[in-house]
Amino acid sequence: MDIDLLSDLLEENQSSFHSQLLQDLPNSRLTTAELPGAPGTSTGPSRVSTKRSALPSAPNRAGAVILKIENIFESIVECVMGDKKELVIQLKTRSKKAKDSEEDVNMELGRKSDIRRIKFPSKGPREAWRFGTGLASHSRAVTRSLGHWSGYYQKVVDMYYREPELFMKQGVVDRYVDDIAYTFGVNREALNVVAAAKGLIVGSLSTTRKDGSRTEYGSEPEVEHHSPTTNTAANRTQGMLVPKADDVESIDIGTAQWATFRTIAACEYWRHFRAGNGIIITAKGYPDIQTRQFLRLLSTSFPHIPIFALVDFDPDGIGIISTYKHGSKALAHETNLAVPSIQWLGIRSSDFLEDNTLGQGLLTLSKRDRNIAKKMLTRHDTDERDEEWRRELQMMLMLNMKAEIQIVGNEEKLGEWLDGKLRGSIHDADGDILMS
Amino acid sequence: MSKQYLTTHTVDDAHLTDIFSLAVTNTQILSASGASSIKIHSTTSPEIPLVQTLTGAHKLGCHHIVTSRNGRVAASAGFGGEVKIWSISKSGEWVEEEMIVDGNKAGEIWAIALSEDGHFLASTTYDGRINVWDVVDGRKKIREYETKGSFGMCIDMSRDGRFTASGHENGGVYVFNNDTGRMLYSLPGLVKPVRTVAFSPAGTRLAAAGDARVIGLYDVQHGEQVANLTGHSAWIFSVDWSDNGEYLLSGAFDGKVKVWSIDQRTCVATHSETDKTLWCVKWLPKTGRSEAFATAGANRSISFYREATGG
Repeated sequence: MDIDLLSDLLEENQSSFHSQLLQDLPNSRLTTAELPGAPGTSTGPSRVSTKRSALPSAPNRAGAVILKIENIFESIVECVMGDKKELVIQLKTRSKKAKDSEEDVNMELGRKSDIRRIKFPSKGPREAWRFGTGLASHSRAVTRSLGHWSGYYQKVVDMYYREPELFMKQGVVDRYVDDIAYTFGVNREALNVVAAAKGLIVGSLSTTRKDGSRTEYGSEPEVEHHSPTTNTAANRTQGMLVPKADDVESIDIGTAQWATFRTIAACEYWRHFRAGNGIIITAKGYPDIQTRQFLRLLSTSFPHIPIFALVDFDPDGIGIISTYKHGSKALAHETNLAVPSIQWLGIRSSDFLEDNTLGQGLLTLSKRDRNIAKKMLTRHDTDERDEEWRRELQMMLMLNMKAEIQIVGNEEKLGEWLDGKLRGSIHDADGDILMS
Repeated sequence: MSKQYLTTHTVDDAHLTDIFSLAVTNTQILSASGASSIKIHSTTSPEIPLVQTLTGAHKLGCHHIVTSRNGRVAASAGFGGEVKIWSISKSGEWVEEEMIVDGNKAGEIWAIALSEDGHFLASTTYDGRINVWDVVDGRKKIREYETKGSFGMCIDMSRDGRFTASGHENGGVYVFNNDTGRMLYSLPGLVKPVRTVAFSPAGTRLAAAGDARVIGLYDVQHGEQVANLTGHSAWIFSVDWSDNGEYLLSGAFDGKVKVWSIDQRTCVATHSETDKTLWCVKWLPKTGRSEAFATAGANRSISFYREATGG
């Protein structure tokens, strides 16, 4: 089965954004500021190429991005060589509102995008700093896009540590990379910038990469017992890193020999998943982009398989499942990361409050928790699809309490609880479970 | 001696979500819920008809609503941290006055109480402070009491306006003298969250309850505990005194509502119309010879009970 959905999505995005983006190229927007005697000098980029024809033929997506970046640098060179008094980098600022999927994308962009113009020289040091960070981010984007041919990917955190004095805070890199991606009408992946992957996966699943390599994510008992190295066995039972969705050529699920399913949280106790075969993914908190991309790939490749989320009963838990289901508010333009079909397995207030023997895992809300809950109530105020989340958030506030997953008991009890929940929820034999 | 109460009426689906709070006047009952509107039903008619809806009163939902004893002023607190003051007009409709903004930084208000004449509003905050506002003269904050920083979950004012009592997450119960502006004492006994406090009509007793599933009765003058009312098997979210101070009403997480005799220190009636959370229980003002009360909670309905005569 050949699956390359992300590339298709990106192609569509690029073609639909094409006319919009051309209008925003710096060439058509340069202006002259009234700064008499201002020097038209700037630290040029370390590398500027005007020999586009010399580049090897490239995959269309990466080539398009590189072309856009080179156009920007050429316009900067023209400013330096000519009599222009200002250098300008234009970035679209991401709208804070989630995009309505029913609105036309072009109209959406035209209406809600804000163009931010970063100029040099400028009235103050802050603008110069913005120009420097914008330029450095573009420069890194060129390097990383060229690195596409060598399969080299740059993590966002590495970008920060390359120039820590310039960026000052990790959040600055995040913001600029996202704004650049938004300006080009692509997601971060097309710039070959990825968040550090932290999701883990284990289950009845194997993937074949585009380079032909194959990875098994299951832990078959016979292999485990006779594994030549302890590390290999340990890695398999504890889960492996979620693969990059863009690298995946095909996915196979449900191997016949696979009979044991393990939860990371209960790996020593829970060996039999009575609801059938399954896959466990944990994102360790708010999910990173790579984990979300892979989950979306799974959901679009096998739409008949239900996907469940298990999170703490706290405002962050609601935030996590909301991120999976609707996407992150900060990355509202990355709509290809949402998994709308995801179902909330728990923890709900009814999962523990009806049992009067309350044990470990019950905690008082912190001030931060209350503030997050209020913000989420605000966000979900007009979204009737999530009425249940709204009620649970209000329950947290009324009770001033939150609960960890362990509230349902130790690993053995958690396994029993999950069995009961899944039997009540699953209509097909297989299911994915996401744990925060 | 036991009492019997009959269900006289239920307003089904009064709200779209949990009803978190009830407030009564001589003729009406006001209800607030996780939805944005406040509903007003008339209690003078057996059908308890809906007579007014305050649409969109609190965008994120409303967790507390209170009325002054004279029935002329109401206050409501929303999940967004805003507090609104309402007054009854000559035509009998509730009209919004203004919001409490002085001293309500970042929407820190949680539980609220009004004085008998509606002149003063008292509230708790997330960090355990107790604030009092003059609702009539400029809506300014006039008092701020400090406790030990534990979330203030509930609050009540004595009817003569002299005392304010608060219950907190850490089990603390505090009584303040509004005339002197000082804390009178902190009350012993409860070590788990205190979710409801109520002064008796004469102001001589204070009832406090919460996750300990016990209702503590305290002497207000001396700060001593005088009784424990036991019998609930779940968290207690609401207590209310009858007008003559002879009976106490309590509602719990498991949907049970109980009536307690103060003289006998015993439960004289229990109802479990629902097994869902009862967030609020209220006596209705006495008309005729029978006592009546209302309950509301997670089943989104308001249920009314009346004492069976001849008991």
